Formats: sequence, C-alpha cells, structure tokens
Amino acid sequence: MISDIPALVSQGAFSEDNILGWIFQLAWILIFVVFMFYGQRIQTMLMLKEIESSLYRLKMMRDKGREIVISTIKETGKPDEDPTPRVDRFLEHVDIGPVSLDPVGIIQRLEHLMDVRNTRFKDEVRLMAPHADETQINNLTNVLEAALALNQIYKSIRHYYLLGKKTLSLYIIMQLQMILPLVMKESEAFANALRAFTLGQPIGDGAGALVAAKLMYGREKRRIAKDIVVSKVPIDGRTAYVLKAEGPGGKVGKPGEAIKEILEENEGKVSMIILIDAAMKLEGEKLGEVAEGIGVAIGGPGVEKYKVEDITVKYKVPINAVLIKEDIGDAVSTMRKEVFEAVNVAIERIKRLIHERTKEGDTVIIAGIGNTIGIGQ
Amino acid sequence: MDENIHPVRKISTFFMVMAMIMLVLSVTALYQAIEAYRRGSLDLPSIMLSGGALALSMYMLIQMRSKPLKLGFEMPKVSTTIECLNCSYKMVRKFERGDYVFKRIGECPKCKGEMIISSIYREVEERGR
Repeated sequence: MISDIPALVSQGAFSEDNILGWIFQLAWILIFVVFMFYGQRIQTMLMLKEIESSLYRLKMMRDKGREIVISTIKETGKPDEDPTPRVDRFLEHVDIGPVSLDPVGIIQRLEHLMDVRNTRFKDEVRLMAPHADETQINNLTNVLEAALALNQIYKSIRHYYLLGKKTLSLYIIMQLQMILPLVMKESEAFANALRAFTLGQPIGDGAGALVAAKLMYGREKRRIAKDIVVSKVPIDGRTAYVLKAEGPGGKVGKPGEAIKEILEENEGKVSMIILIDAAMKLEGEKLGEVAEGIGVAIGGPGVEKYKVEDITVKYKVPINAVLIKEDIGDAVSTMRKEVFEAVNVAIERIKRLIHERTKEGDTVIIAGIGNTIGIGQ
Repeated sequence: MDENIHPVRKISTFFMVMAMIMLVLSVTALYQAIEAYRRGSLDLPSIMLSGGALALSMYMLIQMRSKPLKLGFEMPKVSTTIECLNCSYKMVRKFERGDYVFKRIGECPKCKGEMIISSIYREVEERGR
C-alpha cells in the first residue's frame, strides 16, 4: 500500500504536470515545517483565543450583573441619588482573612471579621437603598454579593490571561484553560443566583431551611441567636427544638450559636441533634437524593460548624446529618421541583431517625441549615 | 425589570476566517480531483480528503452560526403553588415578586379557609443524556 503512494500522488490533483498540484505539495511541506517549529506557539495562540472568548463571556456576565444590581436598587430602594458610583466602589470590595501563622483563636478572629463584613455590607445597602425594608435589604445584600463574586472571578481570569499573553508561557495558559469549564460553571451559578436573589425566590441551598419551616409552621417562635428562630415541636412523643434562619429575607444566621444556646438552656440534656442541609451532588447522582450521615452539616468558612462540634463534645450529644443532594448551579439558583419534593422525603427520614434513635420524652434539636431567601416560617 | 434579556451571540472572527479558508481550499481540491477523474485518473485519497475537509468546514460554520452565548441571567419558568389549609384546594400560578413560601394569600374561593403559598419552584426539562 505504502509503495503505491508515489503512484497515487503522481495522479490527479497532485500530478507533476499540474501547477495546482505543485502548489498543494508546497503548501503541505510549508505547513509541516511551520508546525514543526511553531507548533507550540500555535497551540498557545489557540488556547489564548479560547480563554479570550470565555473571558468575554465573563465580562458580559459581570456587566449584566452590575446592571441588574443598579436597576434593582433603583427599583426597590428608591434612592435620592444615583447608586452607580457606590455600587462600583462596592464591587471592588476586598476581604482580608485572618493570619494563620499562629492558628490559636483563628475561629474567633474569623468570626469577628465575618461579622464586620456582614455589618459593613448591610450598612452599604442601607445607604444605597434607603427606602428598602429589612427583607429587601437582606436580599439586596445577597444580590450584591453575587455581583461581587462575578467581578472577582472576571478579574482573576483576566489577570492570568494577560499574564499568559505577556509571557506566552504555555504552562500558565494551559492551567487556565484546564480550569475554565469549572470557572464558567461557577460563574453561571452566580448569574442564576443573582436573578433569584433579585426576585426573592427560594434557592436550592434553602432546602434545609424549608424542612425546618415545614416542621415549625404554625408554632410559636422566638429568636434564639442572630437571625435564627426556634420553635418547640412535639414529634412522636419527643420534644424537638426546630430552628432555622428567620425568613423570608436572604439570611443564613448563626445556627451554631443557636444550637449552643439550646444545649446550654437544657444543660446538655439533648438526645440527638439533626442537621439538614443541601450537599454537593456528585456527577451521576440524582438531584434531590436524600442521604444520611453523621457530623455537622454546615457549610461556609467553618465558624458555625466549629461551634457545634465544640459544644457537642462537651455534652457528648450525637450529631446526625440529613443531606439533600444538589450541584452548585442548583444550590444557588431558584429551587427546583425535585428539591422541593425531596424536602418531604427528608422530613420522613428525620421522623424515622427520631423514632429509631430516641425514646419518648427525649429532647432533640432539628436545625435547618441554609439561606432562607423566599422561605417564611 | 430585565425580563427581555436576550442571549448574546459572538462569533470569533479568527475561527470564522479559518473555517472559510478551509471551505475554499476543500472546494478547490474537490474540484481538482473531479477534473482529474474526468481526465481518466481516479484520485481517491484527494477526493476523500477534500470531501472530509468540506464536510468539516461546513459543520464548523453551521455550529458557529447556531450557537448563541448564554450568560445565565435568562429568566426561568418559576411557579407558585397556593394551597388552602382547610380543604387542600390548590392552584398554581406564575411567580410574582413578593411571593414567599408560607405567605398568607387570602381566602379560599371554595371554603373561605386560609390560603398560603405552599411551594415556589422552577421546572427544568432534562436534556437526553
């Protein structure tokens, strides 16, 4: 077969008496030489082009997010002056984490910084939207946080893109290109979140809060910790302290603080703690699948998780987790029907856990974790 | 507010030019191969190569034209379910700003009982995998 190639080449379009054939052969040789010497450079350029188009999309997302933020503030807050310069200033906000060189007391320092951040964000929103009520302020804070995240993602990717372009380093560009699909997925999730927060719709992350809301609906409530309400609910002859962030504004509250408070109130005489939260779904798993486990199911930087672990060690209280599986996109965008349906499954699991693992007359704590936007109680 | 957000379309000029060049070259090559065949010499590799390149460039061009850029701000279809606490009468409507789960909505048209929003959700049509 190989020996036939010269014969084949000498025929038709590539025949020796055909000028076009010669041009084609020359072009192939040229392409071969160019690829031999400049192959990596061409590959780099192609990767840069791909990154550039994703960067363009990120820029569009960032700009659209900013536009939505400004129009929402104008609509709900009815400010006397144009909020644009304040929003632009806010979008450049920077958080500096606590020093970890000496880890002693890092949780307390982190909590303090987070408290300062939350207060600062809400104050900024109050200044931007002076006529907004408390629920709208919480929702607007979430909207601004999503826009801030989009801006930070865009700026980081632009930084590495420009660095790669400047140095033409294949390794910088290749790393960037490799993580781009995940970055884009996360950015789309934030774009979806922004839309849901603007309208005050419940999000997937609120699945835990919805479970608690369903259990405590119609019962007397009291505030037990920052932005957390609790109700005493009789379940199967047991007393359940059901807690969640106070809705329907976009809040997560301090569930760790609330659990600590309830345990102290009852002098540690609690048979079981059940935490319900949305958990990361692995590819191939079904959306809204309910899983059970042990441990503190509280996301975030770990401050609230630490508080629960710390207090439960003191009183030796078993901690159970009921998890509703979702991916990042579903967790921060408007709650899907599957997740809503999974909430009833989770309630059944909680009742079964209580029935099987506690005795009549016992006290349990049920904590619905997550952002309670669009969910009352 | 921003109900009319359209997906943005951006076609890379570089890839567009590349696809066009590929299309022209493949058409020329195919023409040459057919001409050669008419003269009596069957150049099968040339026909296959140029035909393949032609198909590939056409595919690329079609893909470029049909792929709109979605940013994620598109408004999903969100439904609100309102339920009577007394007689379980249910109605589903489009989500309205200000709706939240467990919000009291008024009287039931059937039994005058209290009606609340029992769920707010979006439905997504899963694409075949």
